[in-house]
Amino acid sequence: MRTTTGVTRVLLTTLRGHPRDLVRLAGWSVVEVIPVYVSGRAIALAVDEGFRHGRLEVGLGWLGLLAVAVLAGAIAVRRIYLLLASIVEPFRDELVRRVVAGAVHRAATGDDPPGAVGVARLTRQVEVVRDSFAGMVMVVRGFAFTVTGALLGLLSLNPAVLAFVVPPFAVGLGVFLASLSTLAARQRRLTLADEEVAGAVGALTGGLRDIVAAGGEDRTRASVGARVDAQAAATRALAWLTTVRTFALTVGGWLPVVLLVIGAPWLLRRGASPGSILGALTYILYALQPALQTLVHAVGGSGLQLAINLGRIIETGHTEPALPASARTGPAARTEPECGGPGPDRQGAARRAGHDLELREVTFAYGPHVEPVVEHLDLTVPAGDHLVIVGPSGVGKSTLALLMAGLLSPQSGLVRLGGVPVAALDGAYRVLIPQEAYVFTGTLAENLTYLRPDAPAPDLDAAVELVGSRPLVDRLGGYDAIVAPSALSAGERQLIALTRSYLSPAPIAILDEAACHLDLAAEARAERAFARRPGTLVVIAHRMSSAMRAARILVMDGVSTQLGDHSNLLASSPLYQDLVGHWGTSEPALLAGDPDGVDAVTGPRFVDDPGQVIADGANRQA
Amino acid sequence: MSQPADERRAADRLLAGVVRHGGGWVVALAVATTLTALAEVLLPAALGRAVDAALAGTETVRWASACAVLIAVCIAGEALGDLAAGMSRARATAWLRHALLDRLLAIGPRATRRFEPGDLVSRVVANADDVGNAAAAAAMAAAAALPAVGSLVALALIDPWLAAAFLAGLVLLATALRGFVREASDVTGRYQRVQGTIAARLLDALGGARTVAAAGTAGREVERVLGPLAELREHGFAMWRTQTRMTVRGELIVPLLEVVVLAVAGLLLTWDRITLGELLAAGRYAVLGSGLNAVVLFANRVVRGRAAARRGAEVFAEPPAVYGTRRYGAPDGPGRGCLELCAVTARVAGEPVLIGIDLVVPAGVAVAVVGRSGAGKSLLAALAGRLVDPDEGVVVLDGVPLHELDRAALRRAVGYAFERPVLTGDTLADAIGFGVAASSPGRPERVREAARAACADAFIRRLPQGYDTPPERAPMSGGEVQRVGLARAFAQAERLLILDDATSSLDTATELQVSRALAEELGDRTRLIIAHRAATAGRADLVAWIDGGGLRAFGPHRELWRDPAYRAVFRPADALEPAVS
Repeated sequence: MRTTTGVTRVLLTTLRGHPRDLVRLAGWSVVEVIPVYVSGRAIALAVDEGFRHGRLEVGLGWLGLLAVAVLAGAIAVRRIYLLLASIVEPFRDELVRRVVAGAVHRAATGDDPPGAVGVARLTRQVEVVRDSFAGMVMVVRGFAFTVTGALLGLLSLNPAVLAFVVPPFAVGLGVFLASLSTLAARQRRLTLADEEVAGAVGALTGGLRDIVAAGGEDRTRASVGARVDAQAAATRALAWLTTVRTFALTVGGWLPVVLLVIGAPWLLRRGASPGSILGALTYILYALQPALQTLVHAVGGSGLQLAINLGRIIETGHTEPALPASARTGPAARTEPECGGPGPDRQGAARRAGHDLELREVTFAYGPHVEPVVEHLDLTVPAGDHLVIVGPSGVGKSTLALLMAGLLSPQSGLVRLGGVPVAALDGAYRVLIPQEAYVFTGTLAENLTYLRPDAPAPDLDAAVELVGSRPLVDRLGGYDAIVAPSALSAGERQLIALTRSYLSPAPIAILDEAACHLDLAAEARAERAFARRPGTLVVIAHRMSSAMRAARILVMDGVSTQLGDHSNLLASSPLYQDLVGHWGTSEPALLAGDPDGVDAVTGPRFVDDPGQVIADGANRQA
Repeated sequence: MSQPADERRAADRLLAGVVRHGGGWVVALAVATTLTALAEVLLPAALGRAVDAALAGTETVRWASACAVLIAVCIAGEALGDLAAGMSRARATAWLRHALLDRLLAIGPRATRRFEPGDLVSRVVANADDVGNAAAAAAMAAAAALPAVGSLVALALIDPWLAAAFLAGLVLLATALRGFVREASDVTGRYQRVQGTIAARLLDALGGARTVAAAGTAGREVERVLGPLAELREHGFAMWRTQTRMTVRGELIVPLLEVVVLAVAGLLLTWDRITLGELLAAGRYAVLGSGLNAVVLFANRVVRGRAAARRGAEVFAEPPAVYGTRRYGAPDGPGRGCLELCAVTARVAGEPVLIGIDLVVPAGVAVAVVGRSGAGKSLLAALAGRLVDPDEGVVVLDGVPLHELDRAALRRAVGYAFERPVLTGDTLADAIGFGVAASSPGRPERVREAARAACADAFIRRLPQGYDTPPERAPMSGGEVQRVGLARAFAQAERLLILDDATSSLDTATELQVSRALAEELGDRTRLIIAHRAATAGRADLVAWIDGGGLRAFGPHRELWRDPAYRAVFRPADALEPAVS
């Protein structure tokens, strides 16, 4: 219900935003309705004064007048359409803006972003709203003016006729309007049922192999089948109500005809002319009946589509700033304040001493009743440090990176930079590179200077050179080449993201498996470049080779952590040994069959293989 | 007999079957629409007579009641017709969807090799509705055609000149509306292209959500995505202009047609060739007759329904898998899970991939299946648990050929873990227990145990709703999804566990832990492990090396390793590729 009022409000606001267009629309609507008004009278007069008395030229004259009125009406229709366009097109722009802003802001605050299917659905919804809004304005307006015109015409022919026409017409319209809210509810139910069926069938076909392998055919069949039945039930429920609608339509449109035919002898006796009976029938059959029919079909069809789809856009759209983090069930992400692109490091928000990053007693969990990912963590990353974080996949390395970047807020404890809580700082103190490297369609230069739009050319060149993306830049055709993300490999996208981040002025760089799609040598080159970059470097390691380049290593094992360097961790942490693939003699049974351990001549040195992958790469969503 | 003709016949049979399943509603629909159409055609004539009668003052009651009856038929017929259309559509569509679901599940994974999953969705969702709607559309096409044709006949009966005037006007109508369609589709095409650009940019930006969040550039991103909006508006206005031209023509033509017919009727009236009532009827028939384009609309729906039936028939042309009735006796201790492949040949798209494979895997042994990519490892895995049937030969588990096994017995015996498992079920606990009958005792414990063995327990417990988190709402990496998939297989398999590259996304530490579980808790089951890494093969008891369609060797990894060709199987993958899916 709240959405319904939201829909009404949005529509009214839109219309109110075009007062001048609305006045003109009303003016042209009057012109449009001229042929309606003229039709009954012209036919009545053509018959009464012309054809019935053998005066052909008079009859044709009146019909000619009707034809002229039709032409005038057509001109009005043209103007009305163009006026409508100037209301609807800006409205569509506003909808697109709402949808895009909503999706981008929600995605940026940690909600699941819609995928390709979701974006396609949003696009379709906007178009449905655009078309149905235009349709509704046309139809409701047309109905009001046509009915007024026809009733005025009837009045001018013979006021007594109104008594035959108005009551049944009003009853029909009333029955329809009364059924509208139920109709809307059932239409909505059907729309949802349709989507449920599509979703369930999609899950079935997408998981068919798994369903069969697990012997889950009957269960799946039952649950998808139930949705099919629910959809059929919703169709039937709507069909019953459609019958009510049809009934209202036929009563309102046809009953006046019946009454008029029955009452015709009485009317004629009271002095009504034959032509006026014909004229009255013309008003009913060619104006009132079609107007009612169009209204009923349009409101029952595109009107409901408008309400449902606009309601959805309002629910998912964005006009005000995004919801506060506490209102969401997902990860307690913090809304990043807009900083208009990180310029040089700002001291504005809070005065801080140096760039030491400290975590004090930090505890974080993804929900109130679940186990924490990080618990009572103390960690200091002094300015200029090179820290590598390792641990099995899923242990919470990325979560820790987000905490350090201030994109997640801990439930308890503090994350501080130079003594100031990071929550109080704008985002310019650090650059975070996630696994899924972001490249957008635009020039290569735009992509590379995304975090420092004013970067001078020599700095850009230096970054490209050091990170190792020169061959890529050359292949793509220089900085002014347009890049399309889909035409790049995952590794190439990561090179662009790494170069961009290298160029950023932020004093702290956090690389979250940011080079996982690069080969060993390219990854090493990029990481070495970052290690030499002034400032602090934190690397979530994808391969153990990253750890070996680090000054310090943090091993995450569940919520317990251990800090050290390669050699002392190898001696003290069994998990670290596992990660390195250095299993020593602790698991002889498992090693017995491993020829890599026994056949040192031909096999690669599997143990201590620096290319050993320790984390499982992309696809993480939140 | 040509194949397309067969397919058409199958499609028409399906369409007929679906229409039949609309039941009595289809009959009601046909009766209602026919009656309505007849009443509509007769009504203008009756109205004309009623007006003439009123003027003459004779037979007034008779013609007024005729009008009332005809209008009552129109009202009842339309209401019943709408109801019957909705009801028959609901029934027919649901029947077809149920039948398609039955068939899809009976065909099994073969269905998604033959058709794309998304394509199947459109067959079950959109196409089934089109087929279900075809009966109603056919009735409505007939009902729309009847008044249009009937009007022309009626005009000719009143006076041939009226019919001639009407036809001349109609030709004008058709000419005026021609040529619009192409122009409209050009303009619409341009509009949709810009729309596509905006959608693509939005998708880009959403893909970079983390970067955008970290850089705080959401506002900039919105503006970038909306860059082409001005162009969109421009094309939008062009669409309006085109549509306006078309609408204005439409608005002009029907009333002008009526005026022309009325003028001719007026002329005939002055000559006393027709009555006043007939003039009224002529005007009405002119409007009814121009409704001919509705016939085209409904006829299109019938054509679409027939095309959709063809797509449905293609699914039914795929034969279902047939299961036997045999079951295993009571669990009989050790020695369970002995797998035999006897002279097994399997083809993919007509090409033999595995040829005459003979392989006996003793009970309780871990066997790694290795081979170059495309050698048929996954096909072998699919054969071993009857996800596909061999084209020749037979697969036997514990003495029973798989195709003779009852379906439930087969699935209880064999569990699969895949490289990219698809998680089904309402919660993660449900997804892991998907292969375990809901009624089987100790299911929750089995789920937890399996999750622990697959190293999935710890991360699941940290999710917002723990084990009650719906799979689609759990943010999981490829490796975590693999672990849930492993847990599902662990909970299910009683005799044979098949891992089809199911640990490829795990980090070394986790893979090691899973390997330990496979060797210890799950050591009593036969394990068939498709392996890409040498280390995985090294941990198995035996290795089956598939090469050139046959079993090149079957023995311990350590022995096979002496063969440089065997070592070469692993070389490219292990040396260069970061194992990221």
